[in-house]
Amino acid sequence: MTHLTDQELEVARLIIDAVYLEDLKVEEIDPEAPLFGTGWGLDSIDALEIALAISRKYGFQLRSDDVEIVHIFASLRALTEHIQKNRTD
Amino acid sequence: MLETAATIPLLDPSSALEPIAHRRQGAVSRQAFLAHVGRTAERLPDSLYTINLCEDRYLFLVGFAAALLRGQTNLLPPVHLDGEIRRIAAGYPGAYCLVDRPHEILPLPQCRLDTFDLNPFLATDSVPNIGADHIAAIAFTSGSTGQARPHPKRWRSLVMGARLAQRRFGFSRGLSIVATVPPQHMYGLETSVLLPLATSVSVCGKRPFFPEDVRRALASVPVPRALITTPVHLKACIKADLCWPKTRLIISATAPLSPTLAAAAEQALDCPVQEIYGCTESGSIASRRTLEGDLWRLYDGLALYEKDISYCVSGGHLAEAVALNDSLMPDGPVWFKLLGRQDDLINIAGKRGSLANLDHKLNEIEGVEDGVFFLPEDDAKITRLSALVVAPHLEKRMILAALAERIDPVFMPRPLYQINSLPRTPSGKLPRHAVRELLARLRSTLANAD
Repeated sequence: MTHLTDQELEVARLIIDAVYLEDLKVEEIDPEAPLFGTGWGLDSIDALEIALAISRKYGFQLRSDDVEIVHIFASLRALTEHIQKNRTD
Repeated sequence: MLETAATIPLLDPSSALEPIAHRRQGAVSRQAFLAHVGRTAERLPDSLYTINLCEDRYLFLVGFAAALLRGQTNLLPPVHLDGEIRRIAAGYPGAYCLVDRPHEILPLPQCRLDTFDLNPFLATDSVPNIGADHIAAIAFTSGSTGQARPHPKRWRSLVMGARLAQRRFGFSRGLSIVATVPPQHMYGLETSVLLPLATSVSVCGKRPFFPEDVRRALASVPVPRALITTPVHLKACIKADLCWPKTRLIISATAPLSPTLAAAAEQALDCPVQEIYGCTESGSIASRRTLEGDLWRLYDGLALYEKDISYCVSGGHLAEAVALNDSLMPDGPVWFKLLGRQDDLINIAGKRGSLANLDHKLNEIEGVEDGVFFLPEDDAKITRLSALVVAPHLEKRMILAALAERIDPVFMPRPLYQINSLPRTPSGKLPRHAVRELLARLRSTLANAD
């Protein structure tokens, strides 16, 4: 299991709060696991909640016509990197 | 006229001067669209059935119309999981998929629309006619046995339904529609595919998802603009706190919209919020402005009548009466109140399912001895199903993985609790209150453990 960075931990907590993953333990998180489908099991409604939480905390809006969007939600690690590049807070 | 015509034109004859769509490249005239449809129709495989999976709404529209031109029927699977597509296609030999990107593990032949050169050399004014009785589309609902039930839609009925919506909402000439709903579902098909074909409105070729996408899509099309969406998307848009472009109308459907959310949306976008009521079987049949109260008004020409313990709707675009799954209370001939869904039916983010069907899928997993889905009533956040499962030899992740292959992601239980036994009565029934109490206990135990 790869260790989470502080930033990844912060984003993981944001996701857990946003989409109510009450039985996911932070220490069990694999930062490389896919967020959708087999990994975290998230879906498109969760993506809306996560996007909202991100815009509130980090001050920027996600867009699906961003050519990178598939990669952005590929894993916790990818999402965290995207947030660090785009945050305006 | 429409009721008896043998053929009905693919496009509304009085709207030749209005664009039909707006793409990144600009507005698409109806003449260019007809050329795109004609060229696409020539290249479709020979088959009676097509499953249109295009995500680009304009390419969906072109593929849908081209299939009609070729006398083909558009199948609309409720879920785009490979297994579900395979199951539905099994009943329609020769079915192929229309796609706008390569799909890796799709179980059917694929016809790629995105690789067609759509540049028309010859825009055309000649509007083809489609057989009014041709089954233009077949929508599906999930029955309680796990078998999808087909609901055929004739071209006449679809066009008449679009005209009824036009009459109800009075869409002005040149109205641009931006839709967040997929064209593959009845509500999305009616509003973002049939309205542009059968009336003078045009549609944005995109399918915006995040609030910022919706804002940009609205800003990219000419006024007047209408936003066709769902409570889930509307809520996300309102909470995003963006500065919205001038919009004439919002329409929401698929799940009840709360008056609070409707009021917030009316304020943020400075326009009325209307709701449509309907179901896969009947299509749209009524509307209301959420803030004006809880009475729904039937579309013109439709009527309700009581049969056994439920209500049927007939008239208008419907060739036959359709039984409604909701319990409702008529108030005179054209108004009614919606009292709620019948017990077994659930609606999560616009996806309709049957709890019995989900239980069936859960219990068919090898190693699951007993299990039940439950819809908690006290959730402040977006509603999610919970599941209680007895499966002593399976790990939770194995159960979840097996479920993910069988059911739509929105129905995935969150959380799923593994327990020793379900609180069944001696006769085998599972009282709701017993499940509710067990769930509450499990939740508080979990909270204390944290």
